[in-house]
Amino acid sequence: MSKKNDKLEALDLNAYYGDFHALKGINIVMEEKAVTAFIGPSGCGKSTFLRTFNRMNDYIDGFRVDGQILLDGRDIYQKDVRVDELRKEVGMVFQKPNPFPKSIFENVVYGLKIQGIKKKSVLEEAAEQSLRHAALWEEVKDKLDKSALALSGGQQQRLCIARALAISPSVLLMDEPASALDPISTAKIEELIYDLKNDYTIVIVTHNMQQAGRVSDHTAFFYMGELVEYNKTKTMFTSPKEERTQNYITGRFG
Amino acid sequence: MAQFDTELKRLKTKLLEMWDLVEYQLQAGREAMLNADVELAKLVIKRDRKVNQFDIKIDRMCENFFALFTPVAVDLRLVLAVLKINSNLERLGDTAEGIARFVKKMGSPANPELLELTNVVQMYDEALKMLADSRTAFQNNDTALAKAIIKSDKTLNKIYRKSDAIVTKFMAENPDRITEALAILSIIKKLERVGDQVTNIAEEIIFYRDAKVVKHKSDKKKKKKEDED
Repeated sequence: MSKKNDKLEALDLNAYYGDFHALKGINIVMEEKAVTAFIGPSGCGKSTFLRTFNRMNDYIDGFRVDGQILLDGRDIYQKDVRVDELRKEVGMVFQKPNPFPKSIFENVVYGLKIQGIKKKSVLEEAAEQSLRHAALWEEVKDKLDKSALALSGGQQQRLCIARALAISPSVLLMDEPASALDPISTAKIEELIYDLKNDYTIVIVTHNMQQAGRVSDHTAFFYMGELVEYNKTKTMFTSPKEERTQNYITGRFG
Repeated sequence: MAQFDTELKRLKTKLLEMWDLVEYQLQAGREAMLNADVELAKLVIKRDRKVNQFDIKIDRMCENFFALFTPVAVDLRLVLAVLKINSNLERLGDTAEGIARFVKKMGSPANPELLELTNVVQMYDEALKMLADSRTAFQNNDTALAKAIIKSDKTLNKIYRKSDAIVTKFMAENPDRITEALAILSIIKKLERVGDQVTNIAEEIIFYRDAKVVKHKSDKKKKKKEDED
């Protein structure tokens, strides 16, 4: 197999919440169209790091970064980068499904409408394609005008994924996307991640070690703001190089 | 201690108990061979059932551990190694039983000259030492010792390779002792297998501790040599 291109890269990245040094000199390169999992105990910086890729942290008072985050080789923290444009490129799915209190259809095309797309046929096509991609189409195609809030938790989460896909990003950030779901919905999300990586670069934060093992190609272990180990997932879960990684994944931490 | 670690410890303890039993079986086989002790040989044969019970029990413990605790990294390697060491110990138990059956067949003490010529006693002692060392290596996580065990298998192989010619010559010179000579030859073959099985165990210990696969290494070397030739 030929080597994939580098999609996302962090160079000497430091992040701070006021005086708190949340990320310490992170260096990492992530391939395109692959799944990278971030694992580590609560407060280790993995979610902060995930959110630097679409600058979600910008809203937090006292938050600042130094170093670089490169998307396709371009530093996304440069002044000339428009954050709304960045987020078209880098979509995000959160821990708790957060559909808008609108119809299923309106949820999916929300981003497109904000972009000024009004033509019904375009919106309909985008909605169907996104819902198909999110493996939800067959379940909702006959009730697109129904409220999204009437869907089950697992369906809502796939709807949020469809909503993220509708604006055609190339990167999908997922912050514990299945932690609030039952095992069947979780399996569907994992299956979906497996399918989506043919077209998207996916970064997923998870507390579920087995999930990281099942869905990701590479795994990064964070501890107290440091990137302790980054390796092929298979290597991480069979023969990690660092003792701290081993202690964490075998549940013997602290 | 966490439940996880308690269960792993139980698994290790059970395996070490099996190790003791198998070592005892092989030792008893040696005594039976040297003293032509048919009664002891019969006991060894009977006691193999216990080894088999350990085998089933340890398999089941590993299966449960996988199902309930989904081990990873060093824990995963430990349980995988325990599974394989378990089946090697079970086969070592069968080997001890096999030796006992030859002793039973021989019925009378082996010719001292034949024992001397074939080095079978030396071979037996080396095999027993390898097995005892493997237990120590597992218990103490001693991969240096495990590596030494793999090397010492060469001694057994050396004796084994010479044995055919020695026994053939002995049989030609002592046509009345052919049955006995064949029994000794069979025991030598069994001891050669003991060396291989303990080597497999040593390789599993290295896999468990160092995450390195060392088995079939010599195959690769041989292949390389053949390619070069």
